[in-house]
Amino acid sequence: MSTESIFKELQNSSLSQSISQLDSIAGAFAQLFHIAGFLLILTAVLLVNLRLVGLGLNRQTIPHLAKVTKPLVIYGLVLLLFSGLFTFLPSATLYYPNPAFWLKIYLFGFALVVQFTLYRKVTSVESPNRILAGLTAILSLTLWFGVAFAGRAIGFLN
Amino acid sequence: MSVVSILQVMHDSEFGTALRESLYMFPLIEGIHLIGLALSVGLIIVTDLRLIGGFLKEVPVAEVLKQLRPWLLVGFLITFVTGILLLWAEGPRMWAIPVFPIKLILIVLAGLNAIWFEYKYGKTVHEWGTHIHFPKGAKLAGWVSLVSWSAVVICGRLIPYLEATQH
Repeated sequence: MSTESIFKELQNSSLSQSISQLDSIAGAFAQLFHIAGFLLILTAVLLVNLRLVGLGLNRQTIPHLAKVTKPLVIYGLVLLLFSGLFTFLPSATLYYPNPAFWLKIYLFGFALVVQFTLYRKVTSVESPNRILAGLTAILSLTLWFGVAFAGRAIGFLN
Repeated sequence: MSVVSILQVMHDSEFGTALRESLYMFPLIEGIHLIGLALSVGLIIVTDLRLIGGFLKEVPVAEVLKQLRPWLLVGFLITFVTGILLLWAEGPRMWAIPVFPIKLILIVLAGLNAIWFEYKYGKTVHEWGTHIHFPKGAKLAGWVSLVSWSAVVICGRLIPYLEATQH
């Protein structure tokens, strides 16, 4: 089964049909939850990454900041996933040919891998290697901001 | 000269036309405007939550304000400049969407609230910031900022959404 036919199946599913029959206000709310999710993740990641490179909240330990911002990342991800699926499912075939959509998906996948491996490891110690901390911060910020940027570009390429 | 006619002059100018018709510039500016929010509104919300006691309670409020302020201002500058550029290119169309003037009013409200907070509490934050209970006015400023900036983001996101549904 090709990816395109999977997208068609998804769009024709009963869940997608139910979503597409909802009032357009539901779509507006999904967009708002999507941006709220992004803001939660980007702000949380930004706070910790600024600390990683010694440019913000320097009196706090890195593990402590990572711990207090973790719920923001989790809530952000939940909001992103549900609102994203809500927007994607009824128009799956519209997204399929859009290069910005695929860029967003790849960057999102990569950002998640980095978030739950490298970022988690580096932020678990009080004094990580400075070069590794710097590289992690740059990679993490580039990926998450890239996801947001690619997401906005979807609308321009539709 | 009315707001609409000023926006129309900006829209019809060579610069406005070039911005609007550029294949890459307009989406690029809008993308930067969006991600600038994480620096500006995202960090403003962090400081607001600290003021109302909902986040980073163990960090002195003076430290949060001092350390995040430069980033917050950089973010605000990015969002403001890109916002002006977007307005330059698409002003009359944006003005026709009812949430846009509301967004501008909310930004002014949030700005006045920030000035009032700085004037009234900014210089003495090292004193009151160490107490368990903050002055009611400082907490109120945190709430006003939190609500108004959240509403700015909501209105901002609704602009392209309403624009798309109108056409």
